Amino acid sequence: MSATPDWMLHAEPSLCPCGCIGRRTTTSFVDKTITGASRVMRQALFTDDIAAKPGLLQRLDPRVKVVSVLGLVIAVAMVRNIPVLVGLYALSVVIAIASRIPAWYFAKRVWLFVPIFTGIVVLPATLSFITPGEIVVPLGTWFGHPVGVTSQGLRSAGLIILRVATSISFVVLVALTTTWTRLLAALRAMLLPRMFILVLGMAYRYVFQLLDSVTEMYEARKARTVRADADVRSGRAFVSATAGTIFGRAHSMSEEVHQAMVSRGYTGQARTMSAFRVRTTDVTWIAVCAMVIVIAIGIDRALGR
Amino acid sequence: MHIPDGYLSPSTCGTFTVAMVPFWVTAGRRVRKIVKSRYVPYVALASAFSFVVMMFNIPVPDGTTAHAVAGTLTAVLLGPWAAVISVSVALVIQALFFGDGGVLAIAANCFNMAVVLPFVGYGVYRALSRNLSLTNPRRALFGGFGAYVGINASAMCAAIEFDLQPRLFTAADGTPLYAPFHLSQTVPAMAIAHLTVAGMAEFALTFGVIAFLQRANVPVMKINHPGVQLEGDIDRRPLGWRWALIGLGVLAVLTPLGLLAPGGAFGEDSPDNLDLGRYNLRAVPTGLARWSSFWNHAVLGGYGFKDGEHPNVGYVLSALVGMAVIAVAAGLVLLVVKFVRSTASPVSP
Repeated sequence: MSATPDWMLHAEPSLCPCGCIGRRTTTSFVDKTITGASRVMRQALFTDDIAAKPGLLQRLDPRVKVVSVLGLVIAVAMVRNIPVLVGLYALSVVIAIASRIPAWYFAKRVWLFVPIFTGIVVLPATLSFITPGEIVVPLGTWFGHPVGVTSQGLRSAGLIILRVATSISFVVLVALTTTWTRLLAALRAMLLPRMFILVLGMAYRYVFQLLDSVTEMYEARKARTVRADADVRSGRAFVSATAGTIFGRAHSMSEEVHQAMVSRGYTGQARTMSAFRVRTTDVTWIAVCAMVIVIAIGIDRALGR
Repeated sequence: MHIPDGYLSPSTCGTFTVAMVPFWVTAGRRVRKIVKSRYVPYVALASAFSFVVMMFNIPVPDGTTAHAVAGTLTAVLLGPWAAVISVSVALVIQALFFGDGGVLAIAANCFNMAVVLPFVGYGVYRALSRNLSLTNPRRALFGGFGAYVGINASAMCAAIEFDLQPRLFTAADGTPLYAPFHLSQTVPAMAIAHLTVAGMAEFALTFGVIAFLQRANVPVMKINHPGVQLEGDIDRRPLGWRWALIGLGVLAVLTPLGLLAPGGAFGEDSPDNLDLGRYNLRAVPTGLARWSSFWNHAVLGGYGFKDGEHPNVGYVLSALVGMAVIAVAAGLVLLVVKFVRSTASPVSP
């Protein structure tokens, strides 16, 4: 059973005058902001769903999970051969399936975004203008010099795209299978100052509070608007006023929260409960990850280049 | 401008992490001194605000929308050190929770967006608006301008970080292992995006929010502007020594940029570099030839070591030695001036 309401997981069909059914395209800044805010909330609910499932990563101690994934991400950053990166990406997919993360979601999360951003950025780098080298796809000449796609450029682009995709996959694995509170507890165990963790936890909690206010203000405006917002000036004034109001609200809220904390006995010291236990599964997992990292870097160095 | 993992090499990320620690520690101390036990809720709410403001879509002309980082805005409202922490926390939440910006690259992103952006933006704002009352409309304008300069400075930092990657990490066959672009490509790419859309969004948001708060919620503006009078004119104060030192400090930090510059100055290094034909000369003039090599005992000749090894280390060392020598010389001059003044007018007025 999923705790996320069904309507949040599906895009809204638009009923355009011609009667055709398609996805609604949102262009107004009001709609975009509302969509963005609801995406954050949806993501939080979705994470809670996934983290509650019985899967491989869910069973692990969060500290072990964070350390092992950090190691894997560093290994990904150090690897310099495409086949090794492909292997590591395959590993992330296997772990995702073992952790009961919907495969389509996992793939979409990475491959919808990486080709658009990273792909466009590195595309010009395949040309001989930027990465000189052996030309494999000639594209004519430029002032007498042969121009084309170079093998070095292709390899570089492939390396970056794969590396970005694999790193994101590993981070997403942790983010999806760990609730925020457990993730924070894990970070605290990793020598990060307690004050920082406390701030991180409270900031995360109040992000939703503030987002609620933003959504309300934007929805109120949307409800009062008949035709599409086209006036950039008044739009900007509205955004500024919203942000200013949110700041005033956040500031007064911080005073109130502080008073509430003091009245409950807060003295400026952070105290936390920690009741993590490392089990055999965790030890096995760490050993397997360490082996994977060593093997990946070993193969990579053996392949050379 | 969030740099994802994969663009920067692990060593670059490590360097930035080490470099960020003093900023975070100082920022934590500075802010805690001001807000004491209110620290946690204060910083948490500021971070939540930074996170939420980064999600705002700001309409810019031509029907597009853009996000702002709003680091300068936070710096204007809460002070630059509070901005360092709150923007950093917002970036950490984005990276861990949304995969927006890399995990290894967190420190590099924090350096660009949580240190360079607020400090440059706030510096510009403070320098321009120091003689203005709190409700002066120009204050909002200068805030917006500071934000514009700040985000462009931050984008330039990202461009330089990208440029370092193909210089430092390239495979034997010339394949760049991380970000492949050079300064001549990264600077225009970043500059065009940030001088136009992103810079405009940053300007609009910062300007708009300050103007709104001046109109609707002045007490909030007072948090970071204690002692600034509300209305009317303020006596012009001359710029203090602090600003000169800050300017010199920025220039000193930028010194290693000289390593990226190719080429040399006209005929400067040695007479052999002169293009003789161009000046209708048949040989290097005898005087020049004789006197140019008159002094060859420079400790760090050619801004490097004598044997020409480790040119980069030599360059930076030359810069450090040069700055130290100039600082000592300036100190001596100051001492002499003080001494002369005290002897010239023994009775101080």
